Amino acid sequence: MNTRTIDTHTVNTHTIDTSTPVIPADAYDTTAFYADADAIATVTNPTAPDAVTLPSEDASTAELLAAAQEAGRRAVPAPLAETALVARPLLRRAGLPVPEGPLSYAIAPELTIRYAHPADSPVGSAGCLGEDDTLLVTGTLPRVPWGRAATAVVVLAAAPFGPVLFTLTPDLADLAPGGNLAEEPRDDLHLAALEVPAAQVRRIAPELLDEARLRAALARAALIAGAAERCVDLTVAHTTARTQFGRPLSHFQAVKQEEARLIEEAALVRAAVRAAAVPLDTGGPAVRLTVAAAKTQASASAAEIARIAHQLHGAIGMTRLHPLHLATTRLWSWRDEDGDETHWAHCLARPLTAATLWPALTTTP
Amino acid sequence: MPSPVAFPDVALPESARRLRGEVRAFLDEERARGTVLGRPDSWLAGWDPGFSRRLAERGWVGMALPTEYGGAGRGFLERYVVIEELLAAGAPVSAHWVSDRQAGPSVLQHGTEEQRRFFLPRIAAGQCFFSIGMSEKSSGSDLASVATRAERTADGWRLTGTKMWTGGAHVNDYAIVLARTDDAEDRHAGLSQFIVDLRAPGVRVEPIRLMSGEHRFNAVHLEGVDVPDGMLLGRRGDGWQQVTGELAFERSGPERYLSTFPLLVSLLRELEQRRATAEQLTQVGILTARLLSLRQLSLGVAAALDAGASPDTQAALVKDLGTRLEGTLVDTVRSILPTPADPYATPGSHPELLAFALLHSPGYTLRGGTNEILRGIITRGLEQHS
Repeated sequence: MNTRTIDTHTVNTHTIDTSTPVIPADAYDTTAFYADADAIATVTNPTAPDAVTLPSEDASTAELLAAAQEAGRRAVPAPLAETALVARPLLRRAGLPVPEGPLSYAIAPELTIRYAHPADSPVGSAGCLGEDDTLLVTGTLPRVPWGRAATAVVVLAAAPFGPVLFTLTPDLADLAPGGNLAEEPRDDLHLAALEVPAAQVRRIAPELLDEARLRAALARAALIAGAAERCVDLTVAHTTARTQFGRPLSHFQAVKQEEARLIEEAALVRAAVRAAAVPLDTGGPAVRLTVAAAKTQASASAAEIARIAHQLHGAIGMTRLHPLHLATTRLWSWRDEDGDETHWAHCLARPLTAATLWPALTTTP
Repeated sequence: MPSPVAFPDVALPESARRLRGEVRAFLDEERARGTVLGRPDSWLAGWDPGFSRRLAERGWVGMALPTEYGGAGRGFLERYVVIEELLAAGAPVSAHWVSDRQAGPSVLQHGTEEQRRFFLPRIAAGQCFFSIGMSEKSSGSDLASVATRAERTADGWRLTGTKMWTGGAHVNDYAIVLARTDDAEDRHAGLSQFIVDLRAPGVRVEPIRLMSGEHRFNAVHLEGVDVPDGMLLGRRGDGWQQVTGELAFERSGPERYLSTFPLLVSLLRELEQRRATAEQLTQVGILTARLLSLRQLSLGVAAALDAGASPDTQAALVKDLGTRLEGTLVDTVRSILPTPADPYATPGSHPELLAFALLHSPGYTLRGGTNEILRGIITRGLEQHS
């Protein structure tokens, strides 16, 4: 089923070159996706300033979210959101150096982790020979986003002495390629007693595991917000340009009604994502609430946004001749990744009571 | 040009945080008094002039009006904080609602200096309550078709016609009435606004009862009502522009998504008694996420108004989303905890609140412009932009 011949590894390492903090959209090798020249022209608009800036490492969360949203809108074939919003901040929080290039992450509590030193040796974290956190890691990191294209994968896992964060290079794993509905790489990385040197391992507070889940969910929500916006752009363009029965589609009342709902739903997702930006920078109880709300809303809206966009595009929307599929297949994939709406809605509601609901809703802005 | 559906970011000032605390303390006092009952749709149905006056004493009516006219000069964002607290608590705010939301800003913007000096301090003091006389039997969303006429007299105007859906006309002091002063080919021209004393001779108020039996709305018959020149609001013939200019105030506020919020609070109270299931929590979470997102959009419109913009398209968008959520909330609450709605149950109990919210629910997507018309505004806004 995967008919794509594109070498995502090559494409992505160069598109997310951090020394030049711009990802040109023409790096999106559409020829690998399309045979039709006209369709390619609609994907890469040569007149637009078509590039997504990868923000610098000290950018605010709001700026990172805006960049991730733009990457989602343009279906950028690189782990921009994963790098900027998840991997880099986690590495910094754990005190590990941030590698160049595209990064990915895996939250994998089910890995089997042992000390690399022999079990009967006295060496250990409190052992007589001092600390040696070199680990032997066995198990599978499932569906790692852009796994094959990442310079390094940031892994959060449970070690014998508590939660750890470590980095590994995908080359060291046995990689089973996979993908999501949008054919974005989602690769299984099999690790068989892989030795991770202590220099790449950091013990972390359990809160950082939590933060990793929240960051991943928010990054995904921002991507969804971008893809939703793309659906709006494409749909408005289509209904204004396409005529039926002698007038533009957009002049039909029934079309207006649906189109407005699409525009609204996309605005709602954008607002939900934006509401989480400041709390993530400042910390506090609003972080969990706003991130859970953002991913819940983004995932819950995806179906309606894709449904209306496709309905208003008619049959062309479900072909590869038209770029709409770039957005909708991503919406359908991203809504389930890093926690779907059921998961996050449950997290959101669990602590709420009649007395705390309104105070919770008004903790921001 | 920014997109007509872009919303500014909002950061509430520290003063707003303090203000929220003060309003919550005030609401606690009022709850102890028995005036705040946590009822749905309290901005339509919660009529309590005493409550409105006590709010006004704190400076929380006419908050955005300048201090020289008796207002608090605190802007739309601080006003937003106060009114969202009142609505979430289900406080009885309907007596002053229209004066605070529309009549005040409208008189400030279009009124003569004399009108401002007379009405605005009274509005801010909670002593002068307004109705809006726009709709008519044959003109709902098609406001340009109003048939009420204002004929020139020696020292003013004589109004003849019937206004429909005039909320509170039986208990309020004045109504802002849209009437045709001049015949024009363009239906939008020749309309003017008047401030009509609801107790003037020739005003006959006839109740229109809701299906719940409540008397909130009226048909107001203007049977040759004399209105002095000084009560023309704004300029003769500018009625249409004036009315449409007010729509962002009318359409974007938190009342457009919070009417049924007290029912969700009531549901959570019920769920606390019986240990909610995962499925119930998930549904509550989905509603909560939507409320949080919508509040963000609604605050965005308040921020735009505060900055002096006219966010008409954004306001239409918020109102369509918000009022649909008000209805969805009622249906979802029903499905989360199946409960027969019962208007005869103890007032304030969950079955009684559910009955009340249900009986009011068809109105949410009608009042302030039907949602189908609003959606036309939204798509037009975006298409003209792109």
